[in-house]
Amino acid sequence: MIIVRAPMRISFVGGGTDLASFYRHYPGRVISTAINKYSYVSINQPPLIKKISVRYAISELVDHPNELKHNRIRAALLNLGIESRIDIGCFSDLPVKSGLGSSSSFTAALIKGLYAYIDKKIDKQELAEAAAKLEIEHLKEPIGKQDHYAAVFGGFNIFQFNPDESVDVMPIHLDFKKRLSFENHLLIFFTGITRSASDILTEQKSKTGQNIEVMKKMSDSVFDFRDKLVAGDFKTLGEILREGWSRKKTLASNLSNPIIDDIYNEGIKCGAWGGKILGAGGGGCILFIAPTEKKNTIRESLKSIAKKHNLLDFNEIPISFVQTGAEILMNSNY
Amino acid sequence: MENYIKNFSDEVVSALKDLPVEEIAKAIDIIQATYERDGRIYIFGNGGSLALATHWVSDFNKTVFGRDAGDQHSKKFQAIRLPSTESELTAWANDIGYDMVFAGPLKNYIQDSDTIIAISSSGNSINIIKAVELAKSYKLPVIGLSGFDGGKLNKLADAKILIKTKKEEYGIVESVHGAVLHLITQYFKDYFEYLSKLK
Repeated sequence: MIIVRAPMRISFVGGGTDLASFYRHYPGRVISTAINKYSYVSINQPPLIKKISVRYAISELVDHPNELKHNRIRAALLNLGIESRIDIGCFSDLPVKSGLGSSSSFTAALIKGLYAYIDKKIDKQELAEAAAKLEIEHLKEPIGKQDHYAAVFGGFNIFQFNPDESVDVMPIHLDFKKRLSFENHLLIFFTGITRSASDILTEQKSKTGQNIEVMKKMSDSVFDFRDKLVAGDFKTLGEILREGWSRKKTLASNLSNPIIDDIYNEGIKCGAWGGKILGAGGGGCILFIAPTEKKNTIRESLKSIAKKHNLLDFNEIPISFVQTGAEILMNSNY
Repeated sequence: MENYIKNFSDEVVSALKDLPVEEIAKAIDIIQATYERDGRIYIFGNGGSLALATHWVSDFNKTVFGRDAGDQHSKKFQAIRLPSTESELTAWANDIGYDMVFAGPLKNYIQDSDTIIAISSSGNSINIIKAVELAKSYKLPVIGLSGFDGGKLNKLADAKILIKTKKEEYGIVESVHGAVLHLITQYFKDYFEYLSKLK
């Protein structure tokens, strides 16, 4: 049995500039951190199963990977030429479409685990590239590359997406006091609205031409965010998020909606310095940066807003930042 | 005599002033990640560097959690000096050769979630490089503490802690390596103390 996991992420600034339609013209940049919520994959070779067995929300048992409904596992098995005798299980700390990059962290964990299964090693750069390629080139997802890199490398980083497809990883080293203090100024809520990143990003992608100046500003602002973070100026970080979110809302029509606006505005009204929707938009999680003494007021007030909109799954998600990336936790197949 | 003492101290101070801060930060983050995934840290070196490795392991496994050895922390570090016994050291050296005294025992332990710290002033000791190459073939993160011009170790390491000096300045390099290893221990000691206070 092989058990492998990869973290989800919170991305602060620059989302969308990791789309090829943008970074072919100007370097795209995002700043993000891995968090202690993970996608887990288990891979086993049971002696009596000659077929392909895959278990997630449903269970599939097929003769050939071609027949799998699970598109990521199908593509990964076909790419690696694994055609029989495998049992794959999928587990996740959070639901898909939550805006925390869970589908890409799943793909990164899966590929890392399958490499171990065929007794090969893969380094971080290769793994991030392979995961991005699987989703963007093979499965034609209209998404960017940032989530794959965040899941594979772990930690707090700026990723720069260059026109020649190379990616520069610039780690931001925060000492424990700064790290814990920043965590303590964050609030993350799952809105209970799930959405597919693809629809929003498809519109955003098609509008890259008209949005290019806004996106250049987003890409450049990661450095400002980093400098303020290292200086411990969390109030300004909140304001950068607030500006970024209002800028981003102009990029595609469905990035926000009246319910999300209502939640966001309430958070700000209760004292948050700023915030944003995590991920592509339209639903998923919402992040606030707030003074610690305002956190309880924000929590209580958002609970009643969620009730008003009948968001039954609305909930706070406690998180902490992690350095760990896509990792094999156990491999007993020696 | 006074001048002699002052010259040595000046050299150590100058090496300490030029510490590769970014690389030490990388090393700390690598160790943090290893802790989060419950991996193990293997540390090794020759001669004085082996003594530094042994000293660091005792600090890191015990002292880092304070006087009460951190009973409030359910998860601790698993730092292991290689080889972990003199018997293994002499068995590998006598039967196979000195080149394998670290890579040989490392092969027994090595798993995907682990990390290694290699210490070599020249950065070119063959037995050190063999163990580093084994770790690299597993794609494990490598923290390299070297001196002089860094040698092969500094090229291979992910966190390149090079104390640049003239050749043969073992005393200066090992003194500063000792300080860097204590810095790493102190960082995590402060971190766990801070976490305990938050609880």
